Order: sequence, then C-alpha cells, then structure tokens
Amino acid sequence: MQASRARLFKEYKEVQREKMADPDIQLVCDDSNIFKWTALIKGPSETPYEGGIFQLAFAVPEQYPLQPPQVRFLTKIFHPNVHFKTGEICLDILKNAWSPAWTLQSVCRAIIALMAHPEPDSPLNCDSGNLLRSGDIRGYQSMARMYTRLAAMPKKG
Amino acid sequence: MDENDLNSDDEIAIDDDCYYDFFIKGDDPMDSEDAKSREGSGQKYTILNQADIRKRQEDVIAAISTVLSVSGATATILLRHFNWSVGKVHEAWFADEDVVRKRVGLLNYEKQLSDVNAGDRATCGICFDVYPRYRIFSVGCGHPFCRECWGGYISSAINDGPGCLTLRCPDVSCSAAADRDIIDMLALSDDDKKKYSQYLLRSYVEESKQIKWCPGPDCEYAVEFDAGGGGDDSWDVSCRCSYSFCWNCLEDSHRPVDCQTVSSWLSKNTDESETKIWILARTKPCPRCQKSIEKNGGCMHMTCNPPCRYEFCWICLGDWYNHETCNRYNEAADVEADKNREDAEKHVTKYTHYFDRWAANHSSRQKAIAEMQRVQSVQIRKLIETQGKAEYELLFITDAWEQIIGCRQVLKWTYAYGYYLPENEHTKRRLFEFLQGEAETGLERLHECAELELNQFLVDYGSPLEGFKEFEVKLKGLTMVTRKYFEKLVRALENGLSEVQVSGTEEIGQNFPMASAEG
Repeated sequence: MQASRARLFKEYKEVQREKMADPDIQLVCDDSNIFKWTALIKGPSETPYEGGIFQLAFAVPEQYPLQPPQVRFLTKIFHPNVHFKTGEICLDILKNAWSPAWTLQSVCRAIIALMAHPEPDSPLNCDSGNLLRSGDIRGYQSMARMYTRLAAMPKKG
Repeated sequence: MDENDLNSDDEIAIDDDCYYDFFIKGDDPMDSEDAKSREGSGQKYTILNQADIRKRQEDVIAAISTVLSVSGATATILLRHFNWSVGKVHEAWFADEDVVRKRVGLLNYEKQLSDVNAGDRATCGICFDVYPRYRIFSVGCGHPFCRECWGGYISSAINDGPGCLTLRCPDVSCSAAADRDIIDMLALSDDDKKKYSQYLLRSYVEESKQIKWCPGPDCEYAVEFDAGGGGDDSWDVSCRCSYSFCWNCLEDSHRPVDCQTVSSWLSKNTDESETKIWILARTKPCPRCQKSIEKNGGCMHMTCNPPCRYEFCWICLGDWYNHETCNRYNEAADVEADKNREDAEKHVTKYTHYFDRWAANHSSRQKAIAEMQRVQSVQIRKLIETQGKAEYELLFITDAWEQIIGCRQVLKWTYAYGYYLPENEHTKRRLFEFLQGEAETGLERLHECAELELNQFLVDYGSPLEGFKEFEVKLKGLTMVTRKYFEKLVRALENGLSEVQVSGTEEIGQNFPMASAEG
C-alpha cells in the first residue's frame, strides 16, 4: 500500500513536471484518491481516430506497480481490441505481459500505439475485427471515423 | 532406493519374470520383503519420491553445468527450456550458442549499470527512488532496481504461478533472465523460495517426457518409464501409493487390454449410461436397420430415415404394405415380432452384459481395497492375539488380498475386451470365455474364502481355534491357483488369443470345455 502510494506520488510529480512534454497525453489524478486517474489521449494522426479526444479511466490496484492498473475507455470507440459497450481494452501489457517498469504515462502511449495498430485476431469487438480480417479496410475506417466524430469530438453549436 | 539410483538413467534391465511381478509376489514371506528392492531392477519403471526427483534434477543440472561451464542456475534455465533433455541442450548449445542464449535470455557479457546512473547512486526503475549503489541490483543487463522492488517483483511473479520460472528483468524491453540464484538472493521470504523450488521440481516432472505424476488421489510420487526398454509392451505401473495405472493413457491399470479399447469402452460407457435409459423408454428400433426411432406424433405409418426408408407399422413393427390391420391377435406374428425386437435389443443386452460385469468387478475391487486396509490395520493384530501367531506367519492373508485386488482389475478389463472381440471368431471367443470363466471361478473361491472363512478365527475363545492351519493351506492354495489362471488369461489375451487360428475347426474348440461356473 505504502509502496504503491509512494510510486503513484512520484508519477504524479513527474506528470506535473513534464506536463507539456507529451502533448498527446493528459493524465489527471483524482483530487481525493491517488488510486483513481483519468487520461485524455489524442487519436493518432493518419488513423480514423485522428482529431478525436478519448478519455480513459484508470483504477490502480494496491499492489501497483507489481500488478497492472485496470484501464478502460470512457469515450465510445470502434476498435477491434476495445469492447464496444464497456470500453474494456485487450492489451497484453495490461494482462500477462505487465512489467512494474511500466508507468501510467507509458500505458497511455501503448494504448495510442494500439489505436494505430489494431490486432484484429484477438478481437473484443467482433464486428470491427471481422471487417479488418475480411480485408474491408474502408468499411472499418468509415465506421471508426463515424464513432470518432459522434463521440470523441466536441459538438459544434 | 540404492538400486534405483544405480539404474537411474538408461539401463534398466528387463527380465521376464518380473513382468508378472504382481502375481508372483508372496510365494513366501520373504518375497514381499523383497518387493521394494525389486522395483527398479526388473521393472521398466521407477517410482520416484520428491527427494529422488530432486536428486535427478540436480544431477542433470550438474551435468550440463560441467559440460557447458555455466552456473547451475544457468544450466537450470537451459534445461527447463529444452524439456530437461540433456541431449537437446547439448545439441542446440553446440550448434549455435548465441542463438540459444538469446532465446532464453542469457547474456554473455556483464553490463555495468546504465550510464545515466553512473556515479555512486542510481534510480530504481520500479519505485523511482534514488539509492546508493549497494542497494541497487541488476541481472547483468544494467537495468537498475532496488532490492526491495526486486523482492516484490519476484514475490508477485511466484504467486502468479509457474510462469515465475521464466522470470525476466522487469525492464519493459529487456529479456535478460532472472535465474534461480537471483531468486535465492532477492526473494522476500522463505515461503516464496520454497514455492519457487516446488515449481521447479514440478517442471522437471511435467515437462520431461519420461516422467509423469501418479494420478492417484493425493499421491506425491512420480513414475519414470523406460519405454525403450524392450520386452513386453505393457504400460502398467503400480505406484507406491498402491494406485496402479497405465503410464501411457493414465487410466486405471487395464492389462491385458490395450489403451485404445479402454478409451472406446470408457467413452461408450459415458454415452450409454446417459442416453440408454432414455432410448429404451421412448424409442423402438427400425425393424430393418435397427436404428432407434422416436415417434413424436402422427399416424402409425412409419417411414425410416434415408437410406433405409423402410415403411412399417409402429404398433406391430410389420411391413406397412403387407399389412392392413394388426388388431387381431396372431400368435405366429407375435413370435415374429418378438424376434425382430430381440435382434434390435441384442446389442443393448450384449453391452449391458459386459458393462454389468465390468462395473461389478470394479466395485468389488474397491471393496477389496478397503477390506485389505482393514485386514492390515485390525484383523492381523487380532489374529496375533487370538491365534498366537507372529506377524510374518500371517502374511499369506495380505498376499491373498493383494491377489484379489490385482485379479479384479484384470477381470474387469477382460469384460471390455470381450465386448469388442468379434462375434464371428467363434474359436477365439470360446477360448477367451473358457479362460475368463476359469479365472473368474478361481477368483470367486479365493475372494469368498478370504472374506468369510477368516472371520471365525477373529473371535477370541481364549485359546487358538483348531483348523487355522487348514485355513492357511486352503487360502495359500487358492491364491496360487488363481494366480496361475490369471497368468494364463493375461498371456493369452496379450498375444491376441493366437493359440487358436481363425481357421481352426470345432475340434480345437473341444479342448476348451465351456466354463462351468459364471458370475
């Protein structure tokens, strides 16, 4: 408990210090609970998520960093490895490939990389996975882009 | 166990006598004393306890460590990766050491702590605290982590399961292996170390091809099998926990029946038991193709599924077109219909016949095992009191029970064998049934004698009861006779009943009068 709190506090200070270092990621710690974080990440360019801002929720376990944080999308996203309803993310480093050397910041970077490089063979969103697997790139892109517009972009007017 | 160790690796001699070991046991009191040391000298398998397994494991580790001039911990990593096969490690290592090192995460250089951390202080990559050098540790790749974080990292990996055996440096992109020495040095508690070494032991058994855990309940022994040992092709293994099983398929011991027959029999049993009752209650077999038909409504004009397409009357099972009504009682037709039904039910009846006997012998064996425990724990002690005998003079009783338990097992599986023995091979069937009947009769007499006649001697009348000697002679005799019958049966089934040729005439059959008693 003490170790996880100390480590999270270090990460918090690091985030404050390097606020501008990574313009694509904005990590925010809950005011009253250092085990709850949210992040805003920018959809990577040249992907159907470009222009969208996606919100992630982090629930950090007490055994952190020996155990991985639980992360899910709060913003609706159409992506083979993200559950369409719950926002659950299928990413190896959040499960068995976790290493305590990962940080919340680097997890965000890994999620951005996943958005740019979906893994259609282990889909949580089957519709999306099937589009990619059948080679219908345009179909996948237009669906993903539509949801980015609907859910991840500021509403006009 | 000394003898086992001598024979440990490749040469376990086979002699044919020991093949029938479990029948031969107990010719005289000395014999069963010898049983333990005979293990390993004649059998194709060796029972290993935890200490034996550890010893073997350490031996192969030492062997690799010497030949490759690497540490024991490194040798462990290599062996684990190559399924504990010394040969495979040698082959791969001497073919291309660098490839092997890379694959298992062994560095062949020792990197200093990374340059960023040069100086006498370094930042731990997990807790991000700065520590003096002596509190920082790296597995030779230079990635610095403090001892406390290493401890937590190791402990969390160990509690996650046997994956801890392939532990790597915590750095995200580093593949340097954290070996057994590191665990020993940095693990937080002895409990963790103990768990780790238990996983290592299990890995030796579970990943090597020659050793399997005994599937007996709560048994901690493993059995090493020397499949290349030649001799017979029996896989039967009898563990020191008294569970006997087939090393190949891990089912119950089923000599002389082969694994294939056992597996079809067992899967048949599950299929049949679940559905048989349902089928019998609701269906009739098609009079032509015998397929079960369920009538789920409609008129009595039935048409069987293609390709049969037979059309018949549901009530009398007669052909539909030669049939106008079947309301009139007709004695002759009734006999005919009965015959049809009989044919259809024949396979169910046949199966039931074999299954009942298979199951009866199974439960009889379970009871015999329980009884034997009672004999050993209670009755022998009573007999020592009431009959004034020494313990070694009473060994013939446990021998008899061991014989019963072993024979029940064989007899049980011969019923699976009998079910699959083709019906048209009449001479084989007759020989089989004769031998089986003979063995079964003998076993029943032995079982009854051991179970009932012993009781009278358990009562304490103040002085030894007469007739104990006669009982002893009788029981020993029955034990021996039964053993002979079963040896004969096993031998005959294992060579495929080849004493009789398929082309044999009925004359050959006459050498084997039908068994007189059954059940």
